[in-house]
Amino acid sequence: MSNTQDTLIEITAIEKWFDRTKVLDKVDFSVARGEVVVLIGPSGSGKTTLLRCINHLESVQGGRILVNGKPIGYRTSNYRLVEDSERNIAIQRRDVGMVFQRFNLFANMTVMRNITIAPRLLLGLSEAEARERAEALLAQVNLSEKAEAYPHELSGGQQQRIAIARALAMTPKVLLFDEPTSALDPEMVGEVLTVMKDLATGGMTMVIVTHEMGFARQVADRVVVMSKGAIIEEGRPDKIFGAPKHPVTRALLNAVMH
Amino acid sequence: MHFDWSYFWQELLTPSSAFLDGLGLTVLMAVLAEIIGLVLGLVFAQMRLSKFRAAQAMASFYVWAIRGTPLLVQIVFIYTGLAAAGIVRFQDITFDGFNFSGNLQAGILALGLHEGAYMAEIFRAGIQAVESGQFEAAKAIGMPPSMMMRYVVLPQALRIVLLPIGNQFNILLKNTTLVSIIGVSEMMLVTESINSATFRTFELYSVLGLYFLALTSLWTLFMKLAEKRLELRSLRPAFAAQAAGDL
Ligand SMILES: Nc1ncnc2c1ncn2[C@@H]1O[C@H](COP(=O)(O)OP(=O)(O)OP(=O)(O)O)[C@@H](O)[C@H]1O
Ligand SMILES: [Mg+2]
Repeated sequence: MSNTQDTLIEITAIEKWFDRTKVLDKVDFSVARGEVVVLIGPSGSGKTTLLRCINHLESVQGGRILVNGKPIGYRTSNYRLVEDSERNIAIQRRDVGMVFQRFNLFANMTVMRNITIAPRLLLGLSEAEARERAEALLAQVNLSEKAEAYPHELSGGQQQRIAIARALAMTPKVLLFDEPTSALDPEMVGEVLTVMKDLATGGMTMVIVTHEMGFARQVADRVVVMSKGAIIEEGRPDKIFGAPKHPVTRALLNAVMH
Repeated sequence: MHFDWSYFWQELLTPSSAFLDGLGLTVLMAVLAEIIGLVLGLVFAQMRLSKFRAAQAMASFYVWAIRGTPLLVQIVFIYTGLAAAGIVRFQDITFDGFNFSGNLQAGILALGLHEGAYMAEIFRAGIQAVESGQFEAAKAIGMPPSMMMRYVVLPQALRIVLLPIGNQFNILLKNTTLVSIIGVSEMMLVTESINSATFRTFELYSVLGLYFLALTSLWTLFMKLAEKRLELRSLRPAFAAQAAGDL
């Protein structure tokens, strides 16, 4: 890819096993600053796993992951890689925001507290600063009136927009999305995709796993296709959608387009 | 059958000061043992769920040993057994005019250790009942484990375990009678000693039973009110009920 200055995520030859099953097979994957990458592939191809390795929700058995030039989850000790302490990993994760399929808002907190708690505790913002930031983000996702609501009082689409605001409150360098609209009723998909489009336009670096091919075509700088734990094809969206080379890609696009 | 009603009412409504002292000791033991139990339970639950094998093993052993032996045996073991072996001899401590006797200390410790094992299991189940997505979201946003526990997991787990903890305290209240075996003058032992002088066994034990009923009923009432207050907007009632049912 481009030079290291512009590379935000640099993954080299990672291997991931669940027991005896190889789920990621020497995957190389990089993301440049400001780039929007959409990850597609058949079910079980390893998209979620790859995403979760980037913020070390999953450990890897081989290879290297650099976020912003620093290894995540591991440090070198006596020239060998050892798993880092939970405390250090937590610090590294602040730069990487994640949005889940099932939203996962903190159920015991109001919307406002969901957004302010991490900046308060981890970034040392004052209550006033954190609230100010949260109010701006709530306005951005069009939910200012829901500040004092609890997650279960919101629709799925609203919860997902709050989840995006919560992640943004930490001013991450990159946002990871794992099928952010798959758990939503169809009429709520649009409102979430709109927020994501605005982020893309605003220059946010994003890695998105999605089945929304129309959306992918619109916002992606690059589309990456996975199959059986490996990247089989990647390129600009017009190329991947217009002239897919790999038979798996063709089958996949046929399945979701028709 | 002869039931001396006037004696019964007299003992029920104007109990001797010895009996009231016994009542005080019963409540004191239960409350202190519960506090010890809650702290131990929290610590041992964390150990059981930790990724360190040694911590897991220690906590499992504790829960296994305590839950697998009678409380009565534990009480005698801690007070009489440890002293006989020359390991620990509980000494009387007096402060502020209150005699904190050695057998009372041993009794509270035994009840607390016992309660801790049950609390550990309740807390563990409560923590495991919190959705895994809550843990993942906390980790992903950069919270270290202690912060995740304190702000995200435990508040949700506590609401789930409230009812089982309340039930366990009810059992503890009644289990305090077992400490009479090592000579702590709680309600049961006081009743026994009055009985050995008067032989009004039926009346006296009816009174004792009613006092315990009053204590446990008051506690149940308190739990009902506490539950109402804690029925916060932040938790779907269906989820709370289902999670409590899992325990
Ligand atoms: N915790 C786990 N334990 C064991 N196997 C797992 C685990 N998580 C995922 N797998 C396996 O790893 C493989 C890749 O899973 P992954 O969830 O990354 O796929 P995916 O591309 O996200 O699929 P989908 O489109 O269905 O979400 C699958 O074969 C899956 O069964
Ligand atoms: Mg997936």
